[in-house]
Amino acid sequence: MAADLPLPVASGGADPDLQMGLSLEAHQRRKRLIQIFKIAIVWAVLVGLMIAVLMQLRFDPAYVAQHYSFVLQGAMVTIGVSLASIFFATILALLGAVGRLSQNAIAQGISGLYVSIFRGTPLLIQIYLIYLGLPQIGAALSRQGFDQLGDMFTLNALQAGILALSLNYGAYMTEIFRAGIQSIGYGQQEAATAIGMNGWQTFRRIILPQAVRVIIPDIGNQFIAMQKDSALVSIMGIWEITFRANRLARKDTKFMEMFLLAAALYWILTIISSWLENRLERRLSQAYER
Amino acid sequence: MNDNNIIQVTDLHKWFGMLHVLRGISFSVKPKEVLVLIGRSGSGKSTLLRCLNFMEEPSSGAISVGGVSVESAPGVRVGHQKVLALRLQMGMVFQEFNLFPHMTVLGNVIEGLVTVKKMQKDQAVAIGEKYLAKVGLSDKRDIHPIRLSGGQKQRVAIARALAMEPKVMLFDEPTSALDPELIGEVLDVMKQLALEGTTMIVVTHEMGFAEDVSDRVIYIDQGKIVEEGEPHAIFTDPKDERTKTFLKPLLKLQHLQE
Repeated sequence: MAADLPLPVASGGADPDLQMGLSLEAHQRRKRLIQIFKIAIVWAVLVGLMIAVLMQLRFDPAYVAQHYSFVLQGAMVTIGVSLASIFFATILALLGAVGRLSQNAIAQGISGLYVSIFRGTPLLIQIYLIYLGLPQIGAALSRQGFDQLGDMFTLNALQAGILALSLNYGAYMTEIFRAGIQSIGYGQQEAATAIGMNGWQTFRRIILPQAVRVIIPDIGNQFIAMQKDSALVSIMGIWEITFRANRLARKDTKFMEMFLLAAALYWILTIISSWLENRLERRLSQAYER
Repeated sequence: MNDNNIIQVTDLHKWFGMLHVLRGISFSVKPKEVLVLIGRSGSGKSTLLRCLNFMEEPSSGAISVGGVSVESAPGVRVGHQKVLALRLQMGMVFQEFNLFPHMTVLGNVIEGLVTVKKMQKDQAVAIGEKYLAKVGLSDKRDIHPIRLSGGQKQRVAIARALAMEPKVMLFDEPTSALDPELIGEVLDVMKQLALEGTTMIVVTHEMGFAEDVSDRVIYIDQGKIVEEGEPHAIFTDPKDERTKTFLKPLLKLQHLQE
């Protein structure tokens, strides 16, 4: 019986409410399309202007085409340095946050000072200190007979760069983790306590998994920022995007060509990272969707 | 002290800073007894419940539940193992459910078994399923709490507490956060537990439940037990003035309904 009834969509003009709804929806869609079209025109105009200016400056696209793969090879180094650094920064931030939230004076003191110092000084200075300053300590230790310990203080450029980025971003992310952990309601702690879980079990099984979901967008933002800040490690001669672009630019005085290329590469990396972060965020929030 | 009692509380005091919230509470509960605590908000009834399982550490007094005895005194720290042993005697159900939102319904129920009791997963799942069936939510085992109604959430919370197979169940205003039409399903589960002989202490404003299901009612005012007795006696003929003024509006309403 019921199967014989026409579907509302098929009934066409029969239902005035449906008719109204469909026409409103079509109107909305048309408005959206017009808006997208307008934005596209604005972009085209802006890009056109930029190209015009560059032509005036005798921009050399052939040079870019010829050398872009040399700079592009640096992208792998940039990504590698950023991934390694965000990994260590996350571990540092987790420890830092636990320290800041603990009742223990030593843990609180260390983590508080760490955050204050590494947020309060320039990343560039931190890179200099770790790359150029630490070997002085190493040398002093070696003189006193602690050769192996001394060697540990002399880091190569890659190690120094990753350490500096990790420490710096770990300090910022400590505050992110702390806020994320504190955002989980006290009721969760109570429920875990009531079934007999101890502090560590509660943290690992109940609080942390929920906190991570809250702070994933912030970690994503930090990763994106870090990809760009990793340009600073080029001062130590690491062959990443900026170092390679800089090298060619100076050799052939093609500054606009090479630095625009580097900028474009960072921009593309950022767009890809945001897209990946979005996907991850959506996957993690599945448990919370009705 | 009577050895037959499953719960024995003696001269329990609790201060929050300068605030003296529990002022010498003593009572006992027999196995299979259903005890209802009533009182105004701020009277200390919830604090009393939370002191029993050391969610709040009592300032002084003695608590004995299911054979585990703990004595509190100012400046004395009770060891973690002792507190854990006491806690495992009791299951607790909260006003706000407090389910773990990142776990499935079954995950919530077996969490304590796996993490605290170190049980094998399949064994824990079998127990979890048993208690989900008991609260009538077997079909929801694999979904996340956000997709449940308030009443269903509270029933999962009850299953989570039962799964630990405690000797006593504590309910802290289990229906106060629920829409009126959802209260019944939770009370029905609690009624069923009472019929099966579960020892229960219930803080509630549901006077109908107290009258129908409980064996004894305790009225608490300003951190002290003012009156206690068999529910029908308390509700029809309260002796203490404070109990009378507290119950008057509630009972009037009930008589009107009948």
